[in-house]
Amino acid sequence: MNYPFWDVDIGYGLLMSIIAVVHVFVSHFAIGGGLYLVIVERTARAQGDQLKLDYLKRLSKFFVMTSVVFGALTGVAIWFIIGLLNPAATEVLIHNFVWAWAIEWTFFAVEILAAILYFYSWDRMSPRSHIILGWIYFASAWLSLAVINGIITYMLTPGDWLTTKDFWDGFLNPTYFSSTVLRTGICIMLAGLYASLVAAREKDSLFRIKLIRYNSYWGLIGLLIAMLSYYWFRASIPTEQMSTMLERMVMPWVAQDQLRLFAGVLIGGFIIYGFILTKAYRTTIAILMMTMGLLWFGAFEWFSESSRKPFVIQDYMYANAISVASLEQTQSEGLLSAITFRTGNDGADLFRRACRSCHTIDGYRPVNRAYAGTDIEFIAGMIRGAKAMRANMPPWAGTEQESMMLATHIYEQIDQRHIKDIYDLDGAELGEKVYEIRCGKCHEIGGYNDKTESLVDLTDEDYNDLLDEAGDLAEEMPAFTGDQIERDALIAFFKTLEEGVQK
Amino acid sequence: MNLYEASFLPAPLWIITALHIVTLTLHFIAMNFLFGGTVVLLLAKIHNKWENSSVATFVKLLPTAMGTTVTLGVAPLLFVQLVYGNMIYSASIVSGWYWLMISFVAIFSYYLLYAGSFTKTTKRKGTYLALSLIGFIYISLVYSSVFSLAEFPAQYHALYSNNQTGLAFNSDIGTWGFRWLHIVLGATTVGAWFVGLVGRNDDKVFTEAKKFFLWGMVATMIVGFVYMMTLGEHMLPFMRSAGIWAVTVGLILSLGSLHFFFKKRFLFSGIMIDISILCMVITRHVVRLLRLDGIYNPTTLPVDPQWSVFFIFLISFVLMIAVVWYMLRLFFKDTSKSAT
Repeated sequence: MNYPFWDVDIGYGLLMSIIAVVHVFVSHFAIGGGLYLVIVERTARAQGDQLKLDYLKRLSKFFVMTSVVFGALTGVAIWFIIGLLNPAATEVLIHNFVWAWAIEWTFFAVEILAAILYFYSWDRMSPRSHIILGWIYFASAWLSLAVINGIITYMLTPGDWLTTKDFWDGFLNPTYFSSTVLRTGICIMLAGLYASLVAAREKDSLFRIKLIRYNSYWGLIGLLIAMLSYYWFRASIPTEQMSTMLERMVMPWVAQDQLRLFAGVLIGGFIIYGFILTKAYRTTIAILMMTMGLLWFGAFEWFSESSRKPFVIQDYMYANAISVASLEQTQSEGLLSAITFRTGNDGADLFRRACRSCHTIDGYRPVNRAYAGTDIEFIAGMIRGAKAMRANMPPWAGTEQESMMLATHIYEQIDQRHIKDIYDLDGAELGEKVYEIRCGKCHEIGGYNDKTESLVDLTDEDYNDLLDEAGDLAEEMPAFTGDQIERDALIAFFKTLEEGVQK
Repeated sequence: MNLYEASFLPAPLWIITALHIVTLTLHFIAMNFLFGGTVVLLLAKIHNKWENSSVATFVKLLPTAMGTTVTLGVAPLLFVQLVYGNMIYSASIVSGWYWLMISFVAIFSYYLLYAGSFTKTTKRKGTYLALSLIGFIYISLVYSSVFSLAEFPAQYHALYSNNQTGLAFNSDIGTWGFRWLHIVLGATTVGAWFVGLVGRNDDKVFTEAKKFFLWGMVATMIVGFVYMMTLGEHMLPFMRSAGIWAVTVGLILSLGSLHFFFKKRFLFSGIMIDISILCMVITRHVVRLLRLDGIYNPTTLPVDPQWSVFFIFLISFVLMIAVVWYMLRLFFKDTSKSAT
């Protein structure tokens, strides 16, 4: 709350993931590619294979152009974007891990210089010295990953750091080692993919086939290491955290399904085009395989990032930059009083601080879709009960009065027509939509916190009583504030329900 | 209201300040090579400029200078954010889009430098370099405006209350215009020094470099003096601070550097000009402290040292220097055999 809020129309998550995924894709290749270059160069020199050495020279140009320029500067872009999107969390990281970053910087400096010298010294240095440069490059690049990984995994599983605040507890956290092995596997896989992209353009078909086969081994072995250590990584997430994920979160599991799907496609691709139809592995296939690799990697990052929802630093700071420790204080004294940068529009300020990190009004994860056709009282009730929502939202950090201010701000900007008119529905179908909007965020039929059982085979009077008393049933539950049309439609929908399922 | 527990320093303030000053100096030296060298190459009047071997060598060195500038820029940004994070993040959020674009503009400029270095068509070299320079100018403008804005919390508060979209730009050019011009002219001066070093055996190139070094230094000094005048209420405290000593030493060393540069005694001249850059960085630091006086005092931050990891950093820092030295030695000494 000590910072201004960057209010951009693009969703924060989207903005971050675009930059981050592009960067990690290049930066992991930068490590695996380093290993690939030096190992293949060693073999080529031992065999006196000039054709392979020429190919490596071309590959190293591509390698420097992508990793040193694009990789390094998108890394800087991540540094910039995290400071813009969540300066409070960035500050926690920088104060606790500045020396880790400083150590990483020393490796990074060596890595960049080694890459440049390696590239420029193909024609001026003895083979031995050139290979030494290659090994220095790879070692410093991998060490750089090993250090940064401590900070990334800390955000997901801070472990004992939460109580000790000790650097090493945070750095060597529960998912550190599994993630390091996993990311090393990714580096190896990406080396295979990138090298095949360059190899696919080789004119000599026999040489090209030989290279593609060899590179496919890299891809397969890397993917195998990554997939196996993914399960290790998942098992390293503390049980309680994992149960919350299983019970309330959809995204990590969608991401996991995608991870498996893309892994399957990649394995198939490596086997079919790497070993059977190797001749067909030309630029188009190489680009498709690269895309699959990117999607696979994106799915893993998505799993990893969404797993810690609603936190930006698990159990320490919520995604909206409100720390767990300060929650009680803001809930009693008010969120507005904690906001240093006020704009004169309290409702808008509350929206920015409490919601805007993950939601927009009408764009990315829109609140309009969630609340269109409802009313201020209902929206305020949902805000106060946010922590009970299926989507694992952070608890409301303000006072009751502030929840009304925020609800008013949201209400003023959303579609205020009747739900019936917005969705053009009637009867039980309208009731289902009303359920989805007013009840389904906390009670999913056949899913999270399902209450279908208590809604089956009741009389109209029972249903009306239930809706009248809804606000008293649980602390987080808002009162039913819909009009008679919504009420009748909802009851009509309830009547279609059987135990646990819809009729 | 204590909203999070992050406001501590993981080492005594003097260590962090020293690291910031040293790494920022190194960054500026590399940046001066890059930015100033590009300006000098573009403006220098040399017959068949892009076919001149010294110029070609310098153009080839530019991508590496860019890599070095970026790499050496990471550390000072890290250390300055550690101590002045609140102000720097706030100022950068207010100008969020301009700030974020820096990385992408840098990518654009970096690739253009490579294009300039790889192209066989000499005429295009100038075009690539000029386009690249536009990117550098953008970056320098945003940096100067944001880092100056970070020294005026009331100003970024006011800008934010009018515009929350990250499109507000520090319009108080009076506080940063001369600062920007000073650093651009200074970079051109030092860039000329590097051009002179690379072209020391080429009379035409060295003569041009001398011209830029001399007049660049004069212009830098004049603009620096004007910038000092814009300090306003901070002028008097500045005259009583260590800042004025840093300025004086910097001035004397710059003149000394000029003398030795004309005599082609590059070692002395280089040491002097680099120390004068260090003095400028110290001055910059003092000005920041003066402007934030009464608003923010970094000495009040609690210190909770993380010595174990700090010593690992020191070891890796020493190792970095050793490995860099070793690699450069390999690169320049081992030219006996072709690698392919």
